[in-house]
Amino acid sequence: MVDPVPETRSGLLDRYQPVGAFDEAFDDDGSVRDTYSRIVERFRELDVDEIKRLEKLVADEFRRQGITFTVYSEDEGTERIWPMDLFPRLIAAAEWEELARGLSQRVAAMNCFLADLYNGGGQAIADGVLPRWLVMSSQGFERNAMGIAVPHSAHCNVAGIDVVRDADGRYRVLEDNLRSPSGISYVVENRAAMAKACSWLFYDHAVQPTEQYGQMLRSTLESMAPGGEDDPHIVVLTPGIFNSAYFEHAFLARSMGVELVEGRDLVVDGHSVYTRTIEGLVKVDVIYRRIDDDFLDPVAFRPDSTLGVPGLLSALRAGTVAVCNALGNGVVDDKGVYPYVPELIRYYLGSEPIIDNVTTYMMWDPDQRREALDRLDELVAKPVGESGGYGVLIGPHATEQQLDEARATIEAEPRDWIVQELVQLSTLPSVADDRLEPRHLDLRPFVLTGERTQVFPGGLTRVAMRRGSLIVNSSQGGGSKDTWVLAPEAP
Amino acid sequence: MILARHAEALLWTGRYLERAETTSRCLNYAANSITHLRGDEARAEGELMVRTLGLQEELEAVGPLESQPQLVAFLLSDTDNPGSVVSAVIAVRENLRSVRDRIPIELWEEANGLYLRFPFLGHANVAPAGLHEVLLMVRRACLAISGVLNEGMRRDEGHAFVVVGRMLERSIFTVGLLEASHSDARGVMDATRMLRLTSSLQAYHRQHGNAPDPDGVVRYLLHAPDLPRSVLSCLSRAEEGLTGLGVNAAPLDRARRKAALLRARLELGEVEEAMTSAPVATLQDFAAQLAGLASDVHAGIVPPLAMATVQAQYVRPGHADEPAHEGEPGHAGERAQ
Repeated sequence: MVDPVPETRSGLLDRYQPVGAFDEAFDDDGSVRDTYSRIVERFRELDVDEIKRLEKLVADEFRRQGITFTVYSEDEGTERIWPMDLFPRLIAAAEWEELARGLSQRVAAMNCFLADLYNGGGQAIADGVLPRWLVMSSQGFERNAMGIAVPHSAHCNVAGIDVVRDADGRYRVLEDNLRSPSGISYVVENRAAMAKACSWLFYDHAVQPTEQYGQMLRSTLESMAPGGEDDPHIVVLTPGIFNSAYFEHAFLARSMGVELVEGRDLVVDGHSVYTRTIEGLVKVDVIYRRIDDDFLDPVAFRPDSTLGVPGLLSALRAGTVAVCNALGNGVVDDKGVYPYVPELIRYYLGSEPIIDNVTTYMMWDPDQRREALDRLDELVAKPVGESGGYGVLIGPHATEQQLDEARATIEAEPRDWIVQELVQLSTLPSVADDRLEPRHLDLRPFVLTGERTQVFPGGLTRVAMRRGSLIVNSSQGGGSKDTWVLAPEAP
Repeated sequence: MILARHAEALLWTGRYLERAETTSRCLNYAANSITHLRGDEARAEGELMVRTLGLQEELEAVGPLESQPQLVAFLLSDTDNPGSVVSAVIAVRENLRSVRDRIPIELWEEANGLYLRFPFLGHANVAPAGLHEVLLMVRRACLAISGVLNEGMRRDEGHAFVVVGRMLERSIFTVGLLEASHSDARGVMDATRMLRLTSSLQAYHRQHGNAPDPDGVVRYLLHAPDLPRSVLSCLSRAEEGLTGLGVNAAPLDRARRKAALLRARLELGEVEEAMTSAPVATLQDFAAQLAGLASDVHAGIVPPLAMATVQAQYVRPGHADEPAHEGEPGHAGERAQ
């Protein structure tokens, strides 16, 4: 049975006013952009009651399935229902194709850099593409990763690249996540919830599916098996049910048809990793780990970690198991390395970056620091080692006292900070009480690399739920949207 | 092949699912019967129910039951009591959550759905008039979960462990019920009560007429091969589950043999014969052997070889007394990216 198409007209969009940023659905003169013409029409047919009904339907669905994330306060976590806004984000086929090319290019260059750094003698550093001290002082640089063979030189098997659209609508990379980027499960579940609650919205569009992610990830991980094992034993390694992303870890294991294990389920014997089953030990070939480097092996890293597997590093060195993503990727996540990625693209691939960075000032450069600190009230300061939006100072929203404190902190530890031009993130209509209002958003597409590179169509659109806010992180009150990559028009 | 941790979680899922359903049924019976009783009689019935459920130690921590609301709180919503309905529902959900990747989505949704109904049902909100509805809801949800288990889950090792857990819990309850009934301080064995608490009244009436005698009911609850809650039936299904795990699960051999032995003791009439002279002692002995069977199943799930490997290789210098792996809240480990 299909949902009836609502016929009411309520003017949910009548008072829609862009907020001085690039609006992805509406042009500057208020006319609807082509890509969004049919979806806007459908939303104009809805009234507040219907929107509320649909929102409840989606929330109930997420609640019933336990699709949650955990927000940590001082010392305890709270499970919250995943927030999804009903107005989807649409990306036209040609636009996506260009974006996907840019993402592949960027991840390829970062993989080249990681392979060069850990297995190739550091040619880029020797050639002065980026300074040695910067790399060596990165918290994400991992000496233990030196010399560990990585199949296909694919150090980053799953990358989440955060992109935004600037005031002109151009995509720019805001941040690279090459350790354990999360969010893909919500991409798939958002689509499933939209398809259940608002199936009629899809009638007018050919939308690329999302449920194939498990297959894509599995084939990527299979290609990473040491010695090209035909039917490798793959596991997903989770810190456990209390981790904020546990739902995602279970989702990934289920959608790949592999086991979800904790550190205590694994044991290293004779430089090989095994699962502990009721029938004894069973050898593991590939571990898709969702545990940070520091916690992976208490023998090599943090001795107080009970989440990892003692001896795992010895197995890695022996080449009996692959750990994905590879050890030491955090060096590229370091926001201090981020400004050099365009140059890495030129160096390794000999081509110009398809997607630009956001203009970034490196605080360890005295000239750039002086310029940035003078204008800090117009800029955004970010700690290089944080993620999830923590520690970010948005100049125009900060008080004088906060700005002064930030200046002092940056002056004291310039290596720990970058400062960026403020990007007025693009907006899309989003449900706000009894109407649709513009809300800022970003996009995290996922790039999979094993024997070959694949860009998953779409990604996680995160949206700031408060008017004018630029904070899209779910841990800080952000929401999400279903992301539709449209199939190419039939000729 | 199933991870030892998953096997354990599914075994406990089965046990707690059975416990949630059993405690709901018992509480419903107790709440109804106490309304017809006064003073000491009501108190005695409450205490008998606690003994039937094997919760004497847990009750000691709370203190003596003085009123019906106290009994309801203890058996329904006391999260310090692992035998309460709410504790069992939480445990079912948490165990299934830890194996979420290998169970049918519907199974998780049913268990999660049951759990989600409880935050709004603290004891203070459960008026006597609403208690029956709450308990009915729990029992129906447990039946729905059983339905998904039976019809939606692959007959793999995971399924076998859930069945083994349920059958162990059920047989332990039935034997506990018989033992408590024999040692009721009021000196009367209530045959109808035993049948109602095992959902067996209707089945007994159809087979043996509607005037149950206590001895006949005890025999029925021990031996009836076609009664889902008879001890024989439970042991047969537990043995079948353990056998279905395959020859490779050698560490479970001991449990498998013990289940077969206990079943044979029932089938050969040994238990019945011993009960003619010392019913309470016989039932207590049988209950102890069931507890031993449960321990053997647990011991068999974690292969000693694997444990030995872990301890021999990875106990850190200076920490010889600490196990290599202890459960730790995992909110560290993966940073938000």
